[in-house]
Amino acid sequence: MKHRRRTAAWQLNLLLFPSALILALFIIYPALYSVYMSFTNEALVGPSARNPSLVGFRNYLRLFGDAEFWNALYVTLVFVVGSAIIGQFVLGLASALALTRRIRFRSLFSVFILLPNAAPEVVAGFMWISMLAGGDNATLSRIVMFFGITPPDWLQVFPLWMIIIVNTWRGIATAMILLSAGLSTIPQDVLEAARIDGARPFQIFRRITLPLMLPTIVLYMLISAVSTIAVFGLIYTLTRGGPGGATELVSIYIYNQSFTAFQLGYGAAVSVIVLLISMAIGIAYVRMMAVKV
Amino acid sequence: MQSRILALGACALTLLATTSIAGAQTIRIAEHRQARIDALNTVVPAIEESLGIEIEVIEYPAPERDYLTRLLTELRAGNAPDLFTAPRGQDVADMVASGYLAPITPDIQAWTDYDQLFDVAVELVTSYDGEIYVLPQMLNVQQIYFRRDILEEHGISTEQPATWADLLDRAREIREVTGAYALLFPSGVTWGGGAFGEGFQYLMAGTPTPELAGEDGTLNLRTDGVRDALNFYADLINDDLMPVQPLLGPEPWVIPKYEMFPAGELVATTCGSWCYIYDWGPESRNPIPDVTQAVGTWAMPGQDGGVHVMVDIDSPWAVNADSAELELATQVLFEIGSVEAAVAYAERLGNIPARRDAADNPDFQALTALVPVHANVENGTFLRTAPGFSVLAEGVARATDALLRQETDADGAHEILVEYVVNFLGDDAVN
Repeated sequence: MKHRRRTAAWQLNLLLFPSALILALFIIYPALYSVYMSFTNEALVGPSARNPSLVGFRNYLRLFGDAEFWNALYVTLVFVVGSAIIGQFVLGLASALALTRRIRFRSLFSVFILLPNAAPEVVAGFMWISMLAGGDNATLSRIVMFFGITPPDWLQVFPLWMIIIVNTWRGIATAMILLSAGLSTIPQDVLEAARIDGARPFQIFRRITLPLMLPTIVLYMLISAVSTIAVFGLIYTLTRGGPGGATELVSIYIYNQSFTAFQLGYGAAVSVIVLLISMAIGIAYVRMMAVKV
Repeated sequence: MQSRILALGACALTLLATTSIAGAQTIRIAEHRQARIDALNTVVPAIEESLGIEIEVIEYPAPERDYLTRLLTELRAGNAPDLFTAPRGQDVADMVASGYLAPITPDIQAWTDYDQLFDVAVELVTSYDGEIYVLPQMLNVQQIYFRRDILEEHGISTEQPATWADLLDRAREIREVTGAYALLFPSGVTWGGGAFGEGFQYLMAGTPTPELAGEDGTLNLRTDGVRDALNFYADLINDDLMPVQPLLGPEPWVIPKYEMFPAGELVATTCGSWCYIYDWGPESRNPIPDVTQAVGTWAMPGQDGGVHVMVDIDSPWAVNADSAELELATQVLFEIGSVEAAVAYAERLGNIPARRDAADNPDFQALTALVPVHANVENGTFLRTAPGFSVLAEGVARATDALLRQETDADGAHEILVEYVVNFLGDDAVN
């Protein structure tokens, strides 16, 4: 019996080894190296590219006094709240609820919702450029001009709103899939009993559906918030963080510091702070809601 | 049995083919932008034949910023191609300081065509440490390009402005009379190195304190010249003489250079000889008819008088210091320095060959817009570069970006520039 247990444990470790190795090589080691790099003046070019040296907390001190870093954090906060917490969640939940009903063209509706996820991020970005950029030549501008309205330069006048809309568009499908899974776990007899007791649809939603879906919602919020903090390709393609930093998410700020200004050490310091923020969000979600994830 | 024999035969053939391919040494060359790749491909077969090698041209991202990012990342990782270009002259000093470029001083001095290089080209490629690391295949000659046809139509003088104040007065007159934006100086973060290379250095060269690179390896940034140059931008922006919104977008050159200038909505801009070919000439997607007549040039006036035309090395070629084929790559480098290669690039991009004997080449003689620029290239002015210039260029981009957004004045922008450079290079690096 003991021997069998040992064999099982050994087999389990063997099965886990490839994943553990990949995690160690491509996640844990780079993360630890980033922490180390954040204490250096390492750069992609210049004298410190050849001879990087330790600079203590200089990168962190600079970071906390850097208005552009705080701007990036603020833009990211608005972006996460606007696109992930409000946009994707509300529309994803509405889509999930709609799909639980017997509506006409249900399959077609699902396809439309899922389509944005089929396009790679950069392709989706370029598609939205044709929609929004180019002044009067933008597709959206032509549409509003058809109704006699003078269009603004969308990405210049409403840049943050535009990227929130684009990211909401792209993320509805993920929200819908996760929330549909949550909806399917609600026992039908509970809903049926509520209906027999005379509960109205909104009451059923508020008093039964939402509370029972809470673990799924919390899980969704966690995944969505953390993944939205890391959104890069879509926004980089669309605006590169401009105009004037109006859409510079922390992910883009890190890229700009590391690969445009070539300051790897400083970029690593920002990455470490963002990692800590993401971890704090995760821990706060789990603790506050007392949900096992 | 028959199938085994067939399989063995196939293996033998594959082995033979692989061996013959592996027999020729391969040199990998990084190149970007379709026009540049096309130019390179016109000379690759001849180089392959002459040296008995194979050349693999690797296509890099077209925007200069993305090209440089990928190249530097690969150089840092040690897997970059054998040959590549530095996008701008201002990038070379930092690449040298990083140890990415192989020195070629004895090779270039022993090169049979060395004497054909313009003196200014040799001066430009001589590094701060006295060594040469890059081959000057092409030069760019930059000044102010203006719509002569529009100014004449509105009765505005096309005479050379004498000072900055004179240039600004002309710009105000253009704005008032034509309603079009008057003068563009590339600026802002998204223009990248162009904010320095295609704008700021024009102004600095005309101040009483032009040299940014100090003799002792420091950067001269706390000078009146730097502040006055930034004040020039502030005047352009605050007086609505320059289109600001397009410069805050992701590809800031597209709207002003390729759309507004050909449409006459922008009347003057800094640019180089390439504008006559690539931006508004035969290689343009939006050409200006009879471009050399419709578009005239002014040299850049100095702050208080005197004029100058900027000259710089354009995308100089370098050998990767970590190349496994250092000697062979150096041979290919000098083949790329041939007249034929330089003219192929001039035809497609509109820059100037760095060699005197290009003037005798019939294909170059056909580029009538470039011939007089080539003849006068030795009269150009340039600023010496030093390690730290990539940080300086980014600092200029940030300082001018703050001006574009009207978040600060010239003094504030000056502070942003100095602070940015000090943050990365240390206080000792800045004078």
